[in-house]
Amino acid sequence: MEVIMTSSPDTSQSPQLATDDAPSSTLAIETHNLRKHFGQRKAVDGLTISIPAGTIAGFVGPNGAGKTTTIRLLLGLVRPDAGSATALGQPLTHLRSYLPRVGALVEAPAFYPSLSGRTNLEVLARLGGYPHSRVSQMLEVVELSDRARDRAGSYSLGMKQRLGVAMALLPDPDLLILDEPANGLDPLGIIQMRELLRRLRGQGKTIFLSSHLLGELEQVTDWLVVLNQGKALFSGPARELLDRDRGLVVETEEATQLDLVATIATAAGYPVTQVNGSLRIACPASFAEELNRRAGEAGVTGITLHVLEASLEERFLAMLKGDH
Amino acid sequence: MVRAFWSELPKFRRWSVLASAGVMIAASVFIAYLTFHQIASGATGPEMTDLIQSFRTTQGLVAIVGQARSLIIAIALIIVSANIAAEWSQGTLRNLLVREPGRLRWLSGKMLALLLFVAVSLALTLLISATFVIAVAQSQGISTAAWTSPEGIRIFLSFFGNEALCLAGISFLGLLIAVLARSTGAAVGIALAYVLVPEGLIAVVWPQGSEWLPVRVFNYVVGATVPSVGPIPPQGYPAALSVALLWMAGFVVVSAVVFRRQDVKA
Repeated sequence: MEVIMTSSPDTSQSPQLATDDAPSSTLAIETHNLRKHFGQRKAVDGLTISIPAGTIAGFVGPNGAGKTTTIRLLLGLVRPDAGSATALGQPLTHLRSYLPRVGALVEAPAFYPSLSGRTNLEVLARLGGYPHSRVSQMLEVVELSDRARDRAGSYSLGMKQRLGVAMALLPDPDLLILDEPANGLDPLGIIQMRELLRRLRGQGKTIFLSSHLLGELEQVTDWLVVLNQGKALFSGPARELLDRDRGLVVETEEATQLDLVATIATAAGYPVTQVNGSLRIACPASFAEELNRRAGEAGVTGITLHVLEASLEERFLAMLKGDH
Repeated sequence: MVRAFWSELPKFRRWSVLASAGVMIAASVFIAYLTFHQIASGATGPEMTDLIQSFRTTQGLVAIVGQARSLIIAIALIIVSANIAAEWSQGTLRNLLVREPGRLRWLSGKMLALLLFVAVSLALTLLISATFVIAVAQSQGISTAAWTSPEGIRIFLSFFGNEALCLAGISFLGLLIAVLARSTGAAVGIALAYVLVPEGLIAVVWPQGSEWLPVRVFNYVVGATVPSVGPIPPQGYPAALSVALLWMAGFVVVSAVVFRRQDVKA
């Protein structure tokens, strides 16, 4: 993707991001060498990731990468073969100490099709010990109040997804784990979901979001975990991943001017390559202003600078090919 | 466990659950009426001998309404095994275990609710069947004094208690099968197949050994009350009751151990 100015992930509401060596208390999720095998198949293979509290963390990987198994491990639905993990600062062995503060939508939303949407929520509200009023509140949040008394089995795919999100939000969770929450949502529903996630992050909640909609993740996440074959290829700030391979593309009409620009960039310590009569400089976008100024001082005029930025999709594909 | 119990109650509003209980009641009333009609109309035959002999005694009412026992057992087994296994099939188990990570607490609450539902269904079935048969008998001028005498009522209540115990055992068998099968279709199929085939085959080739098999033992507990509605326990009622309770404990323990360690991939 080559653009003059690219849209960047919305970090306007993102809190200060923790780093991998941050203390556990600031991490919503942390795993160390987590392993889970199903027979001979390695679903999760030495997974080490960390997710700071108060972020929207995207969880990306191809089908069968181990995303859902990781989520199930965190929720205590399957048991690890090796390794350790904490959620909200509590080890996986102490489910009761953190699961009451966790909401989850795992894979497709599951419910009792012959019961109404409201009754489906009531079942979980009773089980979790939440007040009855919480059911109505959640139905309003996901805009299902009008159809609350209809059989859940009669809902459209998008409505089922909304019901699943309402189920996840019931406990007013500190950590929300969502597996493909935008499945089946129409464009308006996706926008509403994005706004809901941002609102929840604004309330200090952590959202662990598994999705194949990379464009969507790029817009909302401030942390990314890329998974392949049960291993983490990347776990860190989204911007760090997106900034990889970022650079400037310089175009001029005269080759001699291009050589001058290359000399300036090389002197500044950035690698330069010539591609089809233009220059590609591996440098941060912020260097563009300085380069433009120095080029002007050197008498170079009429250059065009483009900021080169890889999309999450491009970065993801490159990582899967091992080109990272 | 209490929260798990309360959370199960709304699920009984499902039409499939209510229909099962409805079928139990309707079919039992129909079978009781057919039995009564056969006796009242003077039908004879070797299979009718016990029924005819007990018809005008204090055991008469139980002998008639108890003819639907096999059906009641089958429906109770389907209700319990399908209800539990459906949590895997529908994927709802993952929602439930996130909200109640204490798996045994959840399973205990669910089982308690199911046992209560089965017991209430049984009570309604016997009550409606008995009321119907008494009403029909009185309309035909047949005396029901022995059935409604204190001894008749004692026998009826004793039958209800032992039948409830039998259904509890059947329910725990359904629990074990559901936990092992983790699929509604498989659980119901295995449960019915077990009740209908293996124990019958073992009874043919090894009669003495079959006396200790679970479904047979649960039936002995009921047969001890009124012989015409179940097999008479050759080992005696206390021994049959003890073995029945041991089977139930065994089913519960194995189910709990398996469920606690099970990976929930549904």
